[in-house]
Amino acid sequence: MSPSWKQAEAPVRAVDRGAQVSQRFSDQLIAVLPRLRRFARGLTGSASEADDLVQAACERALAREHQFQEGTRFDSWMFRIVQTVWIDQLRAREVRKEDANVAEERLGSDAPVRTIEARLALAEVRRAVQFLPPDQRTTLMLVTVEGLSYKEAADVVGVPVGTIMSRLARARIALQQHLETGGASRRSVKNAEAQ
Amino acid sequence: MQKHSDETLVAYLDGELDGAERQHVEAWLAADDAARDRLTGLAQSADLLRSAYGDIVNEPVPERLIAAARGETAGEAQPRAAEILVLRRPQRSTMTMPGGRWGIGIAAAAALFGLVVGGTGSYLASGLLSSGNPAAEQRLAAAAANNTWLDNAAGYYKLVVSAGDALTIDVAADADSREALQKASLPQTRWPDLKPWGLNFRGARLVVVEGRPAAQLVYTTENKAIGPLTLVIGASKQSDIQPTFDHRQDVNLLYWRHQGRAYALVGQTDIGYLWGIANDVAWQLDAI
Repeated sequence: MSPSWKQAEAPVRAVDRGAQVSQRFSDQLIAVLPRLRRFARGLTGSASEADDLVQAACERALAREHQFQEGTRFDSWMFRIVQTVWIDQLRAREVRKEDANVAEERLGSDAPVRTIEARLALAEVRRAVQFLPPDQRTTLMLVTVEGLSYKEAADVVGVPVGTIMSRLARARIALQQHLETGGASRRSVKNAEAQ
Repeated sequence: MQKHSDETLVAYLDGELDGAERQHVEAWLAADDAARDRLTGLAQSADLLRSAYGDIVNEPVPERLIAAARGETAGEAQPRAAEILVLRRPQRSTMTMPGGRWGIGIAAAAALFGLVVGGTGSYLASGLLSSGNPAAEQRLAAAAANNTWLDNAAGYYKLVVSAGDALTIDVAADADSREALQKASLPQTRWPDLKPWGLNFRGARLVVVEGRPAAQLVYTTENKAIGPLTLVIGASKQSDIQPTFDHRQDVNLLYWRHQGRAYALVGQTDIGYLWGIANDVAWQLDAI
């Protein structure tokens, strides 16, 4: 079989709107997708909900492409959109009080994670994050995981730097206390099993 | 005071204090064992937090998100056969067409497919569309799926370029290929040696093509004119096609399908170079 040339079918956008999206904007969006997914995972505590959130954020970003100011950080702009969409969803669904329970169920159904202690520890961290109030969760993910400066995080969330400092400190202390408590209970379980 | 101390300690850890504040905290830490312990605990929990979310950025990005970033919706990015409606051709066009015309027909149908997904109701109302031609439906589905898969191959290439040295590899270049790919749930394949082309194999990444795991083999070079190059290999149920050139999202692609595998060589280099590499890949993998 000898290979031969032919011109491919013309690329087709699925929707007319797609053709209006600038290539550069779309490229920037694709490049930042992995970090948006991580940020969204931290906010929602669920892989599928995180991807739904990122998808909704992409759609909102495309609709507001003209609002992005060249020369500013694209990732920060997208983090802000993800956070805004998430808050909208939280308000719409009124699930703030259910978050902790939902996270518990998700972890409980992930049986393989429980078989490996290292992964269990990391799962416990993610679980602990879900116990934090949404504003602290957002700040923690932006600064500690995504590496934004306090000023950049303040711009994303739309609050003063001092508020970021206090939210972050409360989140870090709460996280540490939760992990210490969880670690203690896990050690108790292990000791009980050993006996 | 305690609250202020916590804020200061956290800010110190995050490198957010200026010189004078930092010195003040360091003097405090030197004199206070409890503060040092607290700082150590905070640092450890921060490290744990970063580890807990570290791997997520290395996961393959779902096709629907890449499609969304391109301005397409999830439903459009993942066409289902049941949604496909076929252009009712005039009687004359149902006759055997010259080979070259099929491509045009499919392209036109594929273009309409995009419109169909976006506005099925109006097209149905206009009476231009009907279903019930299985062969045409199959070819139309193939054309639509092809669009998605090639756009995604280009998108995955752009992720590699944008990541640069920070790119995370699922299967290292020095790993035993078959075993490592199997562990990573990637399609079983060998990776071609492209050193004669000045391309060094950097490793394989797990991506998703047509909803199934696929291997994105990443090759890099010092030659900026050639740039990085990727070869995506995934399983396919579509019929074999000859090597075909396409250009998507400012990226050149050379793709073909052979015996249940879909291949896409993706790069920003010129097509002549891609063609030579594709021949080499095909020879090494017996893929054409």
